Amino acid sequence: MTDPPGQGQPGDGPEESDAGLARERTALAWTRTAISFGAVGGAVLKANVVTGLIILAMAPFVWQLGRVSRGREGLPALGPARLFLITVSIIVVALICLAVAIFGKSAPGALR
Amino acid sequence: MSWSRRLAALLPRTVAEDSGGTEPDARFTFANERTFLAWSRTALALVVAGLAIVQLLPPFPGVPVGRHLLGLPLIALGAVLAVTAYTEWVRNQHALRRGEPMPRSVLPWILSATVTLIAIIAAVVLLISAAR
Repeated sequence: MTDPPGQGQPGDGPEESDAGLARERTALAWTRTAISFGAVGGAVLKANVVTGLIILAMAPFVWQLGRVSRGREGLPALGPARLFLITVSIIVVALICLAVAIFGKSAPGALR
Repeated sequence: MSWSRRLAALLPRTVAEDSGGTEPDARFTFANERTFLAWSRTALALVVAGLAIVQLLPPFPGVPVGRHLLGLPLIALGAVLAVTAYTEWVRNQHALRRGEPMPRSVLPWILSATVTLIAIIAAVVLLISAAR
């Protein structure tokens, strides 16, 4: 006897029953996260060049973590450490942005 | 459970060594990971929004600290969301391994409460600045 649809399954749609597609969606989510890091780096670049470049450099690092999650050849399995690293990276970015916001020279009116 | 033990339970090595229960369906694990990543992007968006308010908005007349009052809590909220997203990922993975019901998420509550508070502060700052 099979389980009724939607009970004990991750989703109802036919694409949800394929772990390969779930893996693909997760890979895309990692890519979007890496792009977000790039966007934050670009925004900070306007306020402070060095810190902006540091955050911008985190984007390929995050993208590489996503590749580890896909289990590409030759890459070690980091497990939960990947997500821990992302959390630590966001905290570092938030602290840098906090420092730039408090001590940095602002460009008032740029959004006027 | 003491705070030090709770903190230790969140470290990656402790999570990896969590041998209780069985390995869940890969689709559940991927879904949990995607949820964590979605919250991480939300956290980054809040951080950059806070920075943009402080750095790029023109100053509010009559409220010299207005931009900092709005931007700094957003940056702090980004950091809080990132940490909470990780703890929720750990809790969800733990529940999935043991076949337990998924724990209730506090993240939407934190996000909506803080955004509402910041919206109220923004309205007050704008009113004061308009009155000047």
